Amino acid sequence: MYKILAKENLDPFFESLKKIGKVHGPVKVGRSSYDFREVDSLSEVDLTYTRTMIPPKKFFVKPKETIFEFDEEKLEFKESQNSEVNVILGVHPCDINALKILDSVYMDETPDKYYIQRRESSFIIGIDCTPDEYCFCSSMGTSYAQDGFDLFLHEISRGYFVRIGSEKGYNMVNDNESLFEDAKPEDIEEFKQNERKRIEAFKLELNISGIQDMLDLSYEDSVWKETADECFGCGTCNLVCPTCRCYDVVDYVGLSLKSGERVRRWDSCMLRKHGLVAGGLNFRPTRVERLRNRFNCKGGLTDGSLSCVGCGRCTVYCPAEISFVEVMKKIRGEL
Amino acid sequence: MVEDNVLAPTPAKILNSENMTAIEKHIELELLDKEFAKGFVYKPGQFVEVGVMGVGEAPISICAARKKEDLLELCVRKVGRVTNAIHRLNVGDILWIRGPYGNGFPMEEMEGSDLLLVAGGLGIAPLRGVLQYALSNREKYGTITVMYGIRCYTAMLWRDEFLKLFYEGDKDNVEFYLSYEDSSDEKCYELQCERSDRCMQGVVTKLFGLKEVKPENTYAVICGPPIMYKFVVQELMKRDFDPKKIYMTLERRMKCGVGKCGHCIIGTGKNIKYVCKDGPVFTYWDALNTKGMI
Repeated sequence: MYKILAKENLDPFFESLKKIGKVHGPVKVGRSSYDFREVDSLSEVDLTYTRTMIPPKKFFVKPKETIFEFDEEKLEFKESQNSEVNVILGVHPCDINALKILDSVYMDETPDKYYIQRRESSFIIGIDCTPDEYCFCSSMGTSYAQDGFDLFLHEISRGYFVRIGSEKGYNMVNDNESLFEDAKPEDIEEFKQNERKRIEAFKLELNISGIQDMLDLSYEDSVWKETADECFGCGTCNLVCPTCRCYDVVDYVGLSLKSGERVRRWDSCMLRKHGLVAGGLNFRPTRVERLRNRFNCKGGLTDGSLSCVGCGRCTVYCPAEISFVEVMKKIRGEL
Repeated sequence: MVEDNVLAPTPAKILNSENMTAIEKHIELELLDKEFAKGFVYKPGQFVEVGVMGVGEAPISICAARKKEDLLELCVRKVGRVTNAIHRLNVGDILWIRGPYGNGFPMEEMEGSDLLLVAGGLGIAPLRGVLQYALSNREKYGTITVMYGIRCYTAMLWRDEFLKLFYEGDKDNVEFYLSYEDSSDEKCYELQCERSDRCMQGVVTKLFGLKEVKPENTYAVICGPPIMYKFVVQELMKRDFDPKKIYMTLERRMKCGVGKCGHCIIGTGKNIKYVCKDGPVFTYWDALNTKGMI
């Protein structure tokens, strides 16, 4: 279903979101960085942002969260509860598609209660974007979000062309009928033309045809060593990646030594400890193996989808300026 | 809303704890939540996450076939933070369990065949479950051959149990072979003098010199230190084994056990596997298709 949200209704639209939950949106922090922050007014939000440093996965796979609190004396543990409802305004298509990859990991045959609670209680509003020189989502088939959102806003001259992606989104539109109107043929035409122009604007391309075999055939390729020599092994690529979800589990003990909490927090496959088992054996002992593992993991399939959505973050934020696309092109023998 | 929390452990009381070697304990556990215990059905080769509150969790393979619904046997080597904490516990203390996880060995698929179990060191633990299962369903399996490689006599796990099989297994159609690495080990040397057809000094693959292994109608089941697999597989491939009839169980850092935390990922873009949920039991065919597996 499609609706139009006129420019003049954007402010009341924003206000109505507050009734759903805590509203978060892309906020400019520092000179050129953006971050999803809790916002109180539309003026704080920059809906024309390029990309946030930390993807919206942070709302679902928390950087750090308590799984449960325990008390050994009472032989019990208490699951941590989560009751907050988050509205996330202004999520780009690549990040929405990344959430769908996380969904298939966290909602598979062994569903993760914490993730699902947060996913079900959140309200996601997508927004279209203009690609910059680091974006290659059009190559990954993730430049358009077909589902995985409640509402999706496409900018047109008189406001936004709105796609309704869920029942929750439908209810929100119904509850605020006065803000929306039906799309006219000229709105639809403008939406189509804008989409065409947006896709034409992509400068960066990656050929993913057969990429899985190319990676497999390059297992012993010198590109891993060459790239690892430049890599700092800092793990930034993992933190900023919208599909990276490795986590570590740590117990924090209270002063009594009997009670405490079990916490999980983001981990990084680029760190030495990732493949280490008790006794000192490391299955990925050097940066070469770790880097190769990361690229293979991204180039591999999660439930049939490539595990990279082409958001460009790992390249933008890499302190060693390692380009994901360039490495993949070397793998393909194109560079 | 999801009611079941896969990350929530269940308490288990230590019923029995025995030092088998200087670093390995055999632990028997009783699951205290009897409702949970009813659904706690496991196969040989599956593992559990064993936790000590305040310390953490570690993946440990179940070392016995299921006999009673609320009982669980583990062999724990004191090697890291969690396992050291487990070793400090006594009978009556509580461990926190999640699982069972992983696929386990295909005991049904292997019915009607001979079994060749090859284990190195602690690798005997998951294979003990296979052995027990096969022995309690004796009519379903043919000849059972066990090749067990140890470092020295004092490092031998379940010594009484396995020595009994070593001496008397043949009457149950079980051939038990033993190899030991420490050439100065007198006890092992005695065993070798007694049964030179069943025991020799060297690595476990040397035992292929004592036993004529045939690929027809035989499943091989392997577990040992990572370095061991390719050498055992080499011996089996020399004898024309079907790669799909060679099963092995792998070790990795498996923090969550349910395919989420990402530490146990192996393979290339072509074939990404989670050892915890796609394994830990894989065939050699899987290994041929998944780089970095063995």
